[in-house]
Amino acid sequence: MTASPVGERDPGTRLRELEAMLDAIAGYALIKLDLDGAVADWSRGAERLLGHPAGEIVGRPFATFYTEEDAAAGLPASDLAAARETGRAETEGWRVRKDGERFRAATVIALIHDDDGTATGYAAAIRDVTESRRAEAMFRGLLESAPDAVVIVESDGRIMLVNRQTELMFGYDRDELIGQPVEVLVPERFRARHGAYRGGFIASPQTRPMGTGLELYGRRRDGSEFPVEISLGPLESDRGTLVSAAIRDITERREQELRLQRQRDEILELSTPVIQVWDKVLALPIIGTLDSLRAARLTESLLEKIAENQAEVIILDISGVPTIDTQVAQHLLKTVQAATLMGAASILSGVRPETAQAMVHLGIDIGRLRSRNKLRDALQLALRIVADRAGSSQEAARTVMGEWPA
Amino acid sequence: MTAEVFPIMRIGDTLLISLQGELDDATVLRIEDRLANEVARTGATGTLIDVSGLTIVDSFIARVLTRVVGMIRLLGSHAVIVGIQPAVAITLVELGVPMGHLHTALNAEQGMALLRRLRDHGDRAD
Repeated sequence: MTASPVGERDPGTRLRELEAMLDAIAGYALIKLDLDGAVADWSRGAERLLGHPAGEIVGRPFATFYTEEDAAAGLPASDLAAARETGRAETEGWRVRKDGERFRAATVIALIHDDDGTATGYAAAIRDVTESRRAEAMFRGLLESAPDAVVIVESDGRIMLVNRQTELMFGYDRDELIGQPVEVLVPERFRARHGAYRGGFIASPQTRPMGTGLELYGRRRDGSEFPVEISLGPLESDRGTLVSAAIRDITERREQELRLQRQRDEILELSTPVIQVWDKVLALPIIGTLDSLRAARLTESLLEKIAENQAEVIILDISGVPTIDTQVAQHLLKTVQAATLMGAASILSGVRPETAQAMVHLGIDIGRLRSRNKLRDALQLALRIVADRAGSSQEAARTVMGEWPA
Repeated sequence: MTAEVFPIMRIGDTLLISLQGELDDATVLRIEDRLANEVARTGATGTLIDVSGLTIVDSFIARVLTRVVGMIRLLGSHAVIVGIQPAVAITLVELGVPMGHLHTALNAEQGMALLRRLRDHGDRAD
């Protein structure tokens, strides 16, 4: 301010300056009321906001600016009474312009005294807050209608705001959450780590999913847990960097994934059937194309069945495999090797003439693997091997028992 | 850690050793030492090495097994590894550890039968 000290000026000039200042305040209606609540003075701002020229409004009751319902409910009088009692009252509600249009208004009413302390009237300042309320309502609406639970966290980790979804998802009332550390929503075993990660986010805030590659869980009020997916975003505000976390319950998706996985397993199971054809003899008819996944699965289930049935011979029937290329042959040989390591002998069956030619041309070495053209022949060979082994097993037992001290 | 004891049992002219848990270098050396001495002392013609109790079988263990089997063969005895679990078999094949020359059997009973065949027919039986 460059103006000279107030005291040096003529009081009349000062008053006019003050009046000009009040009139210059846009967006506010400044109204002086007498003790009965009738308008005594009226600023330009009041004229602009409420539409009544000063000449028309002076002497009219304060209730003129209230809606009919509010006026009927005695709100104007009670607002003034509140100001009279405490010296100042702040209210928010609907007000009416001269043309009948309603707007959302924030009103401050202050009691005015003269020099010896006697109340002489009220000063009321009315501000149109329709726009900011609308923006706020929009924000709230967005927040509340979001399909995700939204939790807004202050930079010190305390919960500032949550939406309805958060209440439903976690089983808390919002009053119980506001002001609490956000870790109440995190299972106990992750809490310490979560605190550290939170610091990391504040240090370099950017919109990103939380815990990429990790399985995240939320903790309900009753202590139960559920799988979640969380997106984080920074929110700059007058209270520093806030973090908004959008939390989605993915229980259903997780279950669906598991169901899919089970179905996939079942299909693989069906496509790699291991049949016990005889005591200690397993047969594995391979039908269709053998890719890496199926081959791995096949080896796995075959070896498990070997252990389960204590099988000594396995027959791999490939008559249902359309083409044998190097890769398929490698898969088969690996299966045979693994079975051999477990102590089971393998017989290949169902090799068609063109398959045999192809395999030889590809340079596939089947090593000591026995092969038969027909499944029947393969089974015969299998039974002979079992019989041989059983024979030597009995012999071995006899030898041992014979040498055992009687 | 206390040194693990792997008892070597004798059944007729066959020795049976059961490997369990995790094997470290020191334990392996101790096992090799005792097994070599037992084979030589008893003149056992066959040895069953039961690996069903091993928690981890990697290329290290695979090399150990190959070494132990080679040692037993040098002492004029046959060796059969029994109890290789499905997951272990897959691992060994995937690692590409050459184990084709080893004799394996599902269980001790079948291992004994295999030893019997090995004694009767030499190394051509399997």
